[in-house]
Amino acid sequence: MAGHAAAATPSTEQLQKEVEELKAAVQLLRQELAASRPKPVVAGNPPLSAEHVTVAPQTPTPASTAPQGDYATKADIDGIRGDLENYKYEQTRNRETKTALTTRGTTIGGTVAVRASYFNPATTGSSTPGAKARETSFDIASAQLNLSGSLYRDYAEGRNLTYRLALAYAQNVNSGLTTTAQSSGSQLNLTDAYLDYSFFPTTTGLEEDRLTVRFGQQQIPFGLEAQTSEELRPVINNAQFVNALGVGTRQIGVVFRGDFDSYVDYGFNYRAPLIEYAFGVFNGNGPNKADDNSAKDFIGRLAFTLPVDYNSVFRELKLGVSYLKGTGNLTRTVGTTTTTVASNNFTRRGFDLYYNHNPYGITYEYADGETDTLAGATGSGKTTIKSRGQYVTLYYQWGEQFLRSYRGQAKYDDWWPKTYQAFLRYDLFDPNTAVGNDQVKVATLGLNVFFAETTKLQLNLLRTFYQDPSMKNSTAVLAQFQYGF
Amino acid sequence: MKRFLALLGAFIAFATVLPAAQAQEKPSVIRIAVPNAGTGGRPLTTGLLATLHQTGAFEEEFKKDGIQVKWVFFPSAGPGVNEAFANGLVDFSGHGDLPLIVGRATGLKHHIIASYGRGGNQYLVVPSDSPAKSLADLKGKRLAVFKGTAGQLTLNRVLSRAGFSEKDFKVVNMDNDTTKAALATKDIDGTISTAPFDLEARGVARILETYVDDPTLTSPNTFWVSEEFEKKYPQIVQRVVTRLYRTAAWAGDEKNRDAQFQIWAKAGSTPYIDFKRSWDGQLLKDRLSPLLDEYYVAAIKKAIGEAKDFKLTRREVPIEGWIETKYQEVALKELGLQTYWAAWPAGGKTNSTSTAAR
Repeated sequence: MAGHAAAATPSTEQLQKEVEELKAAVQLLRQELAASRPKPVVAGNPPLSAEHVTVAPQTPTPASTAPQGDYATKADIDGIRGDLENYKYEQTRNRETKTALTTRGTTIGGTVAVRASYFNPATTGSSTPGAKARETSFDIASAQLNLSGSLYRDYAEGRNLTYRLALAYAQNVNSGLTTTAQSSGSQLNLTDAYLDYSFFPTTTGLEEDRLTVRFGQQQIPFGLEAQTSEELRPVINNAQFVNALGVGTRQIGVVFRGDFDSYVDYGFNYRAPLIEYAFGVFNGNGPNKADDNSAKDFIGRLAFTLPVDYNSVFRELKLGVSYLKGTGNLTRTVGTTTTTVASNNFTRRGFDLYYNHNPYGITYEYADGETDTLAGATGSGKTTIKSRGQYVTLYYQWGEQFLRSYRGQAKYDDWWPKTYQAFLRYDLFDPNTAVGNDQVKVATLGLNVFFAETTKLQLNLLRTFYQDPSMKNSTAVLAQFQYGF
Repeated sequence: MKRFLALLGAFIAFATVLPAAQAQEKPSVIRIAVPNAGTGGRPLTTGLLATLHQTGAFEEEFKKDGIQVKWVFFPSAGPGVNEAFANGLVDFSGHGDLPLIVGRATGLKHHIIASYGRGGNQYLVVPSDSPAKSLADLKGKRLAVFKGTAGQLTLNRVLSRAGFSEKDFKVVNMDNDTTKAALATKDIDGTISTAPFDLEARGVARILETYVDDPTLTSPNTFWVSEEFEKKYPQIVQRVVTRLYRTAAWAGDEKNRDAQFQIWAKAGSTPYIDFKRSWDGQLLKDRLSPLLDEYYVAAIKKAIGEAKDFKLTRREVPIEGWIETKYQEVALKELGLQTYWAAWPAGGKTNSTSTAAR
């Protein structure tokens, strides 16, 4: 047995030979495996000349759907499953404990403006009458917080019901009736509180007509400037007529807005509604108040946009007219008793022109008003005051802030097109056309620097000219950071 | 004094002319637009443009000249590129047929200098529980398309071939990501897709009809240069084109199939496995051909006519003087690639087939 066993035992040389053969086989298998694996992604560049290009066979090499290279083991898959379960748990836990939840989908937004000002001559405006005039000051010019979202979302056709609630900080402004010091507190006023409903489908495309109704407290659709939100208005201060004629105040009521016969240029995603319209009815006595009479104010606006291609020089050339008719109360105060003695009928008419052809643009707006007021110190006799205002703004911008496609380009970082916008405005207002020497002209030279998605620095140099010789012309420099969130 | 004024005049003239003369030599930056982007708004794309971008082909070409190459990716697709170009922000761009044609129709000034892809499968996709058995069953239903893009022209071709038009359906405007979501929520009844397998795998949608690499339904991609840039820097344009053809030759090599699919999959819009499946049986060299051949010219002419017939553009689009092949000729000769790509006849090379519900 021992001899037989000895004969069966391979010699060292034979074993060495077998080992070498096995090594060669392993090497061959390794090479075959390497050849069958997908090539790693090539770092750098493709071959530089045609000689390096390996011409593919004449018939296509069908891409096998069978897996190549390494296989995942059960342990690998269990590992991935474990990671997935951990991720799901973390998401659920974080949503429950670390996320602000709302009953309905809500977007929280707002804008804040912080301002530094210089006045010459010094001013006491918005301060306690007894206060010293100031040449320089710092202010929180505005702070608004808004919530908006969907109450009902029509996925199929986009006839959505949405809402908006907005609150605005208001500085304590002394009324001038008291000489007591201003309180350090501030007010938070409701500015917007409304529902919006789209009657027409909004998902079909740009060519569809639009019609929405807005019910609640809202900005009325008069002209251009009054309807432009803070973050889009180039000038820090409103045109004079906006506040003087009361077309910039919020009102409570219902407004229908829509457009029809849009000129659509899908090659640029450009939509120019031939006619835009808005009609509304509201209380007329301003925001956050109960109505003070049965009469309602009525407003209407029509705008016409030239139906041309995006690439036309007449792109975004729009003409608009607005009309507002309202009725208020005229009161007299005797002692501590205030009595309504007559109705105050008023009308506002406006015409506007808007031309925005990046990088330059122009806006012009004219508005006049007729307002009844009590004549004399007693009685209910009335007289009508006619007012008139207009402004023109020219602007030019360097940068892509207002180019939607470029602004929306794909980026990894928090990139935004830095943009500079220079503008010049000339604003004229005559509070009573029957009275001489009461016109006020304001010339504004400004620069807006958009240096982040929702943040801009605004620099305005204002020169105010008073027709009244008793008033001294004034200069103001305003520097304001406005940020949105 | 006279001498001083003469010197001052000469200096001003020199200072004015010199920078202009230098500007003719080379630009400081080349701006290349891409009419799409990766999921989540990432600056990535797929196809030959992705290969050019991610291999840094143009960057290497112009590194020695100190010319920066700036890629801009537009999630707003072809219409977004048109808007940027109309505002002077693009030198070169890729484009699908419809936004290219509409841009030209409205006066955009560019020259077609290369192609970067053609053909491919199209799929009519419906929600997974849709009872539809054919396109005809979707009549009156909601079809989604990204309006203004080449996809709209493809949809119109599919509808037209079956005897329909957009008016026979409710055609809604959605980008590709929104369309995928809308299929899941069943807010649309169908769409045309080039790679719907991820939706299929998730059980969200199913393929109702497949149109296999049908050149009557698709149109080649176009690479163009602005006329202004071309006029100033023709030698730069030639180098761009030559580099594009060189990279296209590498991209057309079957050895690089997997490597490229991995590059393209980074965009996230189409998974790697879906590229493998949808490109299965199709030669890279054919699909990624940059040639401005008979097929290219015929396809663009056909697309112009279709865009007019389908009322997707308001004006005639003259093709004369639009396609510039001189850069292609130089590039092919310089690279020795005159026979590398087979020039297709006007009708296209592929035998197309459409399959009904699978």
